Amino acid sequence: MLPQDSNDDAEDVSLFDAEEETVSRSTRSKIRHPVASFFHLFFRVSAIIVYLLCELLSSSFIACMVTIILLLSCDFWAVKNVTGRLMVGLRWWNHIDEDGKSHWVFESRKATSQENKSVSEAESRIFWLGLIACPVLWVIFAFSALFSFRVKWLAVVIMGVVLQGANLYGYIRCKVGSRKNLTSMATSYLGKQFLRQNTGDDQTS
Amino acid sequence: MRSRSREFDSSTLNESVQNTIMRDLKAVGKKFMHVLYPRKSNTLLRDWDLWGPLILCVTLALMLQRGSVDSEKDGGPQFAEVFVIVWFGAVTITLNSKLLGGNISFFQSLCVLGYCILPLTVAMLICRLVLLAEPGPINFMVRLFVVIVMFAWSIVASTAFLADSQPPNRKALAVYPVFLFYFVISWMILTFTPQ
Repeated sequence: MLPQDSNDDAEDVSLFDAEEETVSRSTRSKIRHPVASFFHLFFRVSAIIVYLLCELLSSSFIACMVTIILLLSCDFWAVKNVTGRLMVGLRWWNHIDEDGKSHWVFESRKATSQENKSVSEAESRIFWLGLIACPVLWVIFAFSALFSFRVKWLAVVIMGVVLQGANLYGYIRCKVGSRKNLTSMATSYLGKQFLRQNTGDDQTS
Repeated sequence: MRSRSREFDSSTLNESVQNTIMRDLKAVGKKFMHVLYPRKSNTLLRDWDLWGPLILCVTLALMLQRGSVDSEKDGGPQFAEVFVIVWFGAVTITLNSKLLGGNISFFQSLCVLGYCILPLTVAMLICRLVLLAEPGPINFMVRLFVVIVMFAWSIVASTAFLADSQPPNRKALAVYPVFLFYFVISWMILTFTPQ
């Protein structure tokens, strides 16, 4: 009986534990914070939609610009303070100490044995997907605004890139800080993918 | 201080959403009060945030629009202009003060400069109200007086926070760009005429 999920290092694989394993796997793939997941994606996606459809939605440039700015700010605050905490247990902030020196603190929830505090895989996937895809889109918009000379949108687009890029950078550093370093994480991830594909091929053949 | 030491334990990882919102709102409100009654206070600088500057910048840019907001050729470029002037100006001043050897961090300086736009935003509000009345020299004198008072208030508030971070012989060098920055904004406010 081969282990399907090589991530579960701590779980025993035996005939008696098979039932417990499937139960814990289903709770790990459930979404525990539907409201947070919804808002995580809602603000980002609606900012992009308003930007793309601004010509159709309203003839006023200012209304569109203010709306996008508000959505981007709400998204920044929500992702930094709420959805990161709830969905993946990570948080980052800046702290100024007595001497006036600024420190960036990257915090991740330590893996405890409490079942209800572990990270659900579905939420984690939603979180990282939203976090990575949107800044990439804003960078594409920035280049397109620059090269098609729609310069008046450049302020908004740059703001989008900066705010969403900052969250992306902060959370990647939180994530990487909890492992040893980036290269070992990348190689272990690629190794796992490789193993998973090979064991999958063995089973289907 | 209690409010900062709480960040060290991971209890903020598990606090409720409402706590987070109230904490941030209170921090923004406290900073607005500090701008209105400027005092030398180091503790304000430690918890910087950029929400106040964003709100003030958007409000100022909205109020500096010429013509109607719903028309085709609405004040699009002007809105973006105000935005760019405020943020680019603040970044330039911060870089200048860092190059002069100030020991204030980048975001703290942006925070202070942004919050100290509050008096000028109030001046803009007053000017717009005054412009509803008869145009004429008295109208202009009232607006000039209000803008000068608020400009002085902004300068006093920002130097109360920023001047301490510079060595004594460099204070004037660090303060004059702040003077220029608020002067440009005051000029935009004073010369504003709705169509």
